[in-house]
Order: sequence, then C-alpha cells, then structure tokens
Amino acid sequence: MLNRMSTAGRVLAYVTLLGASAITVLPLLYMVSLALQTEAESLSGDPVLIPETPMWGNFLELFERAPFANFIVNSLVVAGAITVSHLLFDPLVGYVFAKFRFPFRNTLFLLVIATMAIPFFVKMIPLYVMMSNLGWLDTYQGLITPFLMDAFGIFLMRQFIQPVPDELIDAARIDGVGEFGIYWRIVLPQVKPALAVLGVFTFVFQWNEFLWPLVATSTEEMRTIPVGLTLFSQEYFTIWNLTAAGAVLLFLPTALLFLASQRFFVRGIAITGMK
Amino acid sequence: MALDNPISRRHALRLAGTAAAAAAATPLVSSCGAGAPKSEAGGDAFTVYWNAGHGYQAYEKVIDEFEQAHGVTVNFQKYQWPDLRTRILADFASGTVPDVVESPDVWAIEFAVSGDARSLRDFVDQDGAEMGFPDDWLPKTVERNTYQGEVYGIQVHYTCTTLVYNKRMLDDAGVTPPSTWDELLAAAKELTGGDVHGLALNQDYSYAWPWLLQNDVRLYDPETRQLLVDRAAAEEAFRFQADLVHRHKVSPVPVPSTDYAGPQKLLSAGRAAMIITGPWDLMPIAGTSPDLELGVAPALRGASQVTSSAGASAFVPAKAKRPELSWDFLKRITALETERAATEEAGMLMPRKSWATSPEATSDPHIKAFAENLPLAEDFLLDLAPTGKSGEVSDTLFKNLYQSIVVQNTPVSEALATFDAAAKRALAG
Amino acid sequence: MANRPRRRRDGLSRRYTRTAYLMLLPAILFFAVFTYLPIGNLLTTSAHSGPQADVFAGLDNYSRAVSDPAVRHSFVITVIFALVTTVGAIVLGLALAMLLDKPLRGRVVFRALLLVPYLTSVAIVGLLWRNILDPGLGILNRLLTALDLPPQQWLITHPLETIIGVMLWQHVGYAMVLFLAGLQGIPDVYYEAATVDGAGPARRFRHVTLPLLMPTTLFVSIISVITGLQAFGQAYIITDGGPANASDLYVFHVFNVAFEARDFGYSSALSFLLVVVILAFTVVQLRYGRRNEVQH
Repeated sequence: MLNRMSTAGRVLAYVTLLGASAITVLPLLYMVSLALQTEAESLSGDPVLIPETPMWGNFLELFERAPFANFIVNSLVVAGAITVSHLLFDPLVGYVFAKFRFPFRNTLFLLVIATMAIPFFVKMIPLYVMMSNLGWLDTYQGLITPFLMDAFGIFLMRQFIQPVPDELIDAARIDGVGEFGIYWRIVLPQVKPALAVLGVFTFVFQWNEFLWPLVATSTEEMRTIPVGLTLFSQEYFTIWNLTAAGAVLLFLPTALLFLASQRFFVRGIAITGMK
Repeated sequence: MALDNPISRRHALRLAGTAAAAAAATPLVSSCGAGAPKSEAGGDAFTVYWNAGHGYQAYEKVIDEFEQAHGVTVNFQKYQWPDLRTRILADFASGTVPDVVESPDVWAIEFAVSGDARSLRDFVDQDGAEMGFPDDWLPKTVERNTYQGEVYGIQVHYTCTTLVYNKRMLDDAGVTPPSTWDELLAAAKELTGGDVHGLALNQDYSYAWPWLLQNDVRLYDPETRQLLVDRAAAEEAFRFQADLVHRHKVSPVPVPSTDYAGPQKLLSAGRAAMIITGPWDLMPIAGTSPDLELGVAPALRGASQVTSSAGASAFVPAKAKRPELSWDFLKRITALETERAATEEAGMLMPRKSWATSPEATSDPHIKAFAENLPLAEDFLLDLAPTGKSGEVSDTLFKNLYQSIVVQNTPVSEALATFDAAAKRALAG
Repeated sequence: MANRPRRRRDGLSRRYTRTAYLMLLPAILFFAVFTYLPIGNLLTTSAHSGPQADVFAGLDNYSRAVSDPAVRHSFVITVIFALVTTVGAIVLGLALAMLLDKPLRGRVVFRALLLVPYLTSVAIVGLLWRNILDPGLGILNRLLTALDLPPQQWLITHPLETIIGVMLWQHVGYAMVLFLAGLQGIPDVYYEAATVDGAGPARRFRHVTLPLLMPTTLFVSIISVITGLQAFGQAYIITDGGPANASDLYVFHVFNVAFEARDFGYSSALSFLLVVVILAFTVVQLRYGRRNEVQH
C-alpha cells in the first residue's frame, strides 16, 4: 500500500480500529469482571459491571471444588500431543501432495479434503464404539488418536510448501540426501512460520474441544477444562462467577501462545492461497 | 471423609456454600491419579452417572459406606442433563454401560421401551417390603417409573412447581395470594407497574405443563392416539399464557435460552412479584436476595387443582454387569435417612411418604409448602412415555409450540396445527 | 526411507511413487480408520430406524428428510447463516486488514486485540453473549438504559441475526489476519505501476488488490462456508435454537434428532446430506476460484 496517509485518513483509521477493538475486547473484559464477582453479584438480576471487591479467591475455589489442576494437565497433555502430532504429519502429507507426482494423487487429495465436510459429532458414536472396544476410553490415547492429523492442516501446509522452489529439492537429491532428509532438512526449514500458524490454530482448536472429551472420559480426573467447567452449573442455574473464572483460565494459555508466536504469525500466513 | 465431617449445613448457609457442597462433591475417590478407571481391588470401578447439581455430601457419605461394604471404588460422574443423555446414548451404542444412572422426566420408561433399562421387578419382589417400596413412595412416583407393569427406576427426588411470590409486594399492593387463574390475572395486573411485572413466565416449555394440567389437558391419549386433548381446553390454556405476556403485558416476554433462571432473577431483583417455579429456586433466591420475604402458595386451581411434577429417578442399565450391586446402591441412596440428610443439606424434596412427615420436610416453611403440593403433582409426559417418543415430542415439538405461542405470539390455532403435523410424523416414524 | 537415491532416470518415477505412498501411509491409514470407517458406519445407520438403529428402513430416512418442513427450515436458515457470516467475515476482515496494512503506530496491538475472540471457545463466547444480551437481565440493556437509549430485545426479535453477529464477532479477526498476510504478500511494484498508469485508490483496489488477493479470499471463503454450515455451538449455547425454531441451525437440529429424539438412523441420513451439500459448496468455490485466480 502507499505510505502516505492524510491526517483525516489517519484519524478515521484510528477511530475505526479503536471502535473495532472495543467491540472485541470489552465483552471479554466483562468476562473478567464476572470472574471476580461474588456469587450473589454474578447471579443477580441486576447485573454488576464492576464488582464491589474483586474476588480473586474465585480462582482458588475452582481448584477446591473440582480437580481443576487435573483438568489443566489433561488439557495441556491432550491439546499438546495433538499439536505435536499435527506438526509432524500435516506438513509431511502436505509436502507429498505439493511436490510429488504419483498415480491417484488428485483422488487421494480430494478424499483428504472431503473429510473437512464432516461435522465431528457425526463420527462420534462410531469412534466411541471403536475406542470402547480398544479399551481406550478414559485414557490419553483415546482422547488423542482421533485427532492425530486433519485435512485443514494438510491443506494449509500444501499451500505453503508449493512455493518452495523445486530446484532446492532437486539439488539436494543430486547431493544424495535421502527422501526423508529432504523433507526434514530442506523443506521444513523453509516453512517454519507456517508451522507456527499450524501449531497455534491446532492448539486453540483442540484446547477448546468439548464433545469428544465429554464422551471419551469416564472419570472426573480425566476431564479437560471445557468439560470440567460443566461442573460449575447446578441443575437449574449456572454458577456464573466460577464458570467465568474457569473461562479466564481457559483463555490464558491460548492468548499467551498467540502472543509468543504472533511475530511469526502474519509472516507465516502470507503465502496461504489456493492454487 | 464425610464420616469425620458430619453434615452440619443448614439452609441458612449462603448460596455459595450450597453450591460448593454440590460442585465440590468431587470425591477424588478413584485413587491412583489420572486415567485410572479401575479400582485397586482389581475389579472394574462401580460407575454412577449423576446430575452435576445433585452431588450432595449426604450422597458422598452413602458412597463411602457403599465402597466399604462391597470393597469397590465408586466412580461418581457428574454431568448436566443434556450431557448425561449424550453420554448414556453413546454408552448404549457401545454396550459398555455404567452401573447406575440418575435420570430426569420419564427417561426410565423411555429406556425400558428401548430395552436399555433393566427391570427391577426381581429385586423389588425380594426386598421391596424391607425398604418400603413401593408402599412408602407416593403412587405417582412409582407410576412414572413403571412400564408394562414392571418397575424400571426408583424415584430419587420428587418436586413440583407452584406459585412463589414476594410477600412484601403483595402486601403493599393489598393483594392476597391468588388461587385461581382469574385471581392470578387480577393480582398480576395490580402488581404490574413501572419497572415491575406482576408475573414472570419461564422460557422453558415444561413450565407450560401446570397450566395444561389445571385445565385437564392430557398430552397424549393412548386410546385415540390424539395429542393435547381436550383441544379446546389446551387452546384456552395456551391462550391464557400468551395473553399474560402479550395482551395484558403482566409478564415480560420470556427469553429463549438453555437455562431456567430468568424469572427467579427477576423475582430476586424485585422486578417480578410472582413466578411459577419449584424448590430449586429457593437457594438462589436466598443467596442473591436474602432480605426478600418469600411466599409459597398452593397450586393454582383451574378446572382442577393440580401442578406438574419434576424430579429425578435412578435406573440400572440392562447391560450393567453387577445388578445386585446397582440395586444395593439404589436402596442406600433412597433410604429415608439419606433423603432427610439431602433435604437438610440442599432443600431437596423427596418421594417417600414418610419423608413428608419428617422434621426436615416440615421445619422449613417453604419446603413444607412445596411438600404439601406434592400430592397434587402429576407427570404431564407419563401417557406419552410408553410410545418411546417423549423425547422428540416434548423436547423439540412441544418446545417449539410453547415458544412460538408465548414468546413469538403466534396465533394458538396456527401453532397447534404446526405441532400436530410434526407430532403425527414423529409418532408414526 | 533413508535409501540413497539411485541416479538412473527410468527408475525415478516408480521410486518417487513408492516414496510418496510410504510418506502418505500414516495419513491413509488414519483417515481410513478415523473418518472413512465412521462414514461407512454412517451410511449403514442411515438405512435403519428405531432407537437402536437396528430396523432396516431402506431409503426411508432420506425421503423423510426431503419432505420434512423442520429440516427444510433449518437448512434454509443455515445456508443464510453461512453465507452472511462468510460475506461479513470477508468484507469486515478485508476492511480491517487494509487499515492495518497502513503504517500506523500500534498496529501490532490492534491486530492482537482484534484476533482475541478467535482464541476463546465457542461455548464461552456463547455463554458470555447470552449474559450480555439478555433483554431483562443482561448488562447491555442496563448500559443502554443508563445512557437513555432504547433497550434491545434481539434474542427475542432477531435470534438468527444475533447468532450471526456473535459468529462474526468471533471470526472476523481470523479473516483479518489471513487478509493481512495476503496483502503483505502483494509486491509494491504492482501498486506503483498502477499509480504510474494514473489509477486512483478505488481502481487500484479493484484491479490490483482484489485479483491478487484471490487465493486468500478463496481460502477464507471455503473455510468460512464450511464453518458456517457446521455451526452448532451458537445455537446450542445462546438461543437453544429458539424462540421456537427460529435459530435452529442444521447441525444443532441433527444433533437433537440424534441425542434428544434418539433417532440415529434419521440423523445419519441428515448428516450425510449435509456432507454432500458442503462438498458441493466447496467444489463450486474451488472451480470459481480457479477461474478467477491471477498469477503474480
């Protein structure tokens, strides 16, 4: 874009951005406010904008009332392992589709892309029966395996790897680098930013996943945070302040992860496109 | 642990405390850390699915005793009702089922019809007399767990809805608690003004049931296979509710959502003078508006004086591996002393006749008032349950019917026509 | 895998094929077991009825789906939902991206703030907005009243628009980040050349920005349509599909057919029809996108 902007344009740009940011951030600040309210304040029919005294103890209560530390560990292990698995497999598969010519390539790619069209809950019961037969219910492997890779990540990585020059790969072959070595040592370093993007998106998505951990866990100690949060509702009402406190804790890791990686983020997505 | 810590909580406890008792009921029992569904004894853990709002200390105590008596570890899994249902249906599909399941409405009959719940007849024959079943249970609570003459579930909690009001507001307006529809409308009109509505209707469709019952409407007539009969009475009951909101404007428009707490919050905030609700709102009211002087009226009288029942049963899945253990768990969790302890702790109402005369049920005036309404309570879904279609007809179609009339102000006959067409398809399919 | 490559040309093609399949093997196995096996199961189930889905019903569930007014209603509002959220995400996302593409102070901060809702779970976002928007009990009307503005009743009067708004609130930042990246990928020379040719801002946007952004737009649009057609949590958490069935999104409807009505046969048929529709939408977009794609 051109570098010069009129003062009026600049003011307009700031007003728009400030307005938009207010719309995205204020509701989340309200969530923080709810998290710091007393139970009576958060359940009141006259909603409270700012709590009289911030109840930092709400966060502690989460841990007293439920095995919340377990929830956090479980969420970290499950979302973490799935993210690592995506980082291992999605680029590899994307690389093959981007750089190899082989029979049935387009058919296979279409079959992979088609899996995006299936809402998860549709597969839930068959997967549940499968895991039950394997004896994997209520285990980490049961929570993790159905999500080891996905079409979105493969698709994303294929788009990123396509622009990596073929000459680079050919030169490595001539130098006698093995096929896996080419992928690992030549191709992957070219798409590091993309890996950051893939990692964050995958983590955020899995971190917030609800349905599968709901059905695939059978003990409270194996629940992840989103499922654990349902304990903070009574039969007829939701305990708002604690639910909100849990939501804040749920949000922090993804926010930190994004902040830590956001430098790569925009550069990383830059090449995304469909060819 | 509950043994060392005798249950000393009282209703006077702040809401936070009660909620804590419920949410904290996390026992941390299953020992060896994350991912250990097996007990140390080597056998499978004894798994119980329970409502997340019902994790009372009284039950923790029962669980402790049960574990000691049988040398098993109880895996006490707490869910919200919709999540519990998702979970149990997945279990039925896989064949791996829990040992005991708490369930609302008429799930026990629904799952008896589908062959997923176990008949408890042999157990009842064997030691029903000793535990007082069915004689000590209110007849309706046995009926709503019975299919083709066999019992499939034991009622654990039994509650009902009735009119709850802000005493001060009624006194100030010189209004006496209404006992008929006409009196209710007149009172609501009198009490409506400024920021305050005389009444606040609930967005949840189940709150339409008392009106229909009071007008002698049945959801389903098994003989004629007709829904919502007598039709004129059904139309009148729906129109009355719609008019409260849209014509007389004595109730705010209910807001569709997944929770039932709207009217209670308005009552607590002093913006509604009367609501129709059950004892589950007593705790939140005491917690958020401790100064509010509450009145609990007898069920309204239409053509009949009646109200709708609520509450939970527990059933044993047909494929449960140790039905004797499951049965023993049911016996313990429904023992009179357990019921009394749960009432003392959480204000919950119970299905036993002998409970109704216990000090726990009679000492608190509000609980007593609700308990006195229990014999008037009926289950609106009962006739429909044996068709196995009660889930679809009530949760989806009846919900649409209620909300389109009461929220959207759709003409009653038009909404009923839509309901009929869809319900016919559902019952035929 | 670490075989040293043979240099002989004629062996190469076959060897590459073998390498490719070797590398694809885990993925092929994974998708076969965790997606295509369940889909096979889905198709079988869709030909059955009853609570255990064990009564053979042939194509009954499909013919029922076609003539079911509730399904038709859900389908129509879901397509509206998906299209409006997609167009909205593209227009708003692109507009914000173009602002942030300018050399403004603090744009990194704005970028982060605008993406924040995307990092939160749909369930939490739903609970939060329900709490904010409730006409009688929400904080928004309290603020509006305090400012002497008329209160809103959107959850009652405009439920579909409301969940569309919440969806956009959560996803615009995501589209924005992708567009921002796309914009930064457009070399300045194109703009300079256009300026030299006498093109104003509007023409530069139409003839340089839009065509060169096509790959990004296509990507955003495909992902967004799929997300929209599969949307569930917004209806589940915020409106419960109501009032009546005004916001009864398709996947929410199908979920209830499965888990409330316990009609897995019918829900499987409805799911399979959705998969077909999503594939059709995706293929059409890909076709259209390819035709309009401009190479740098």
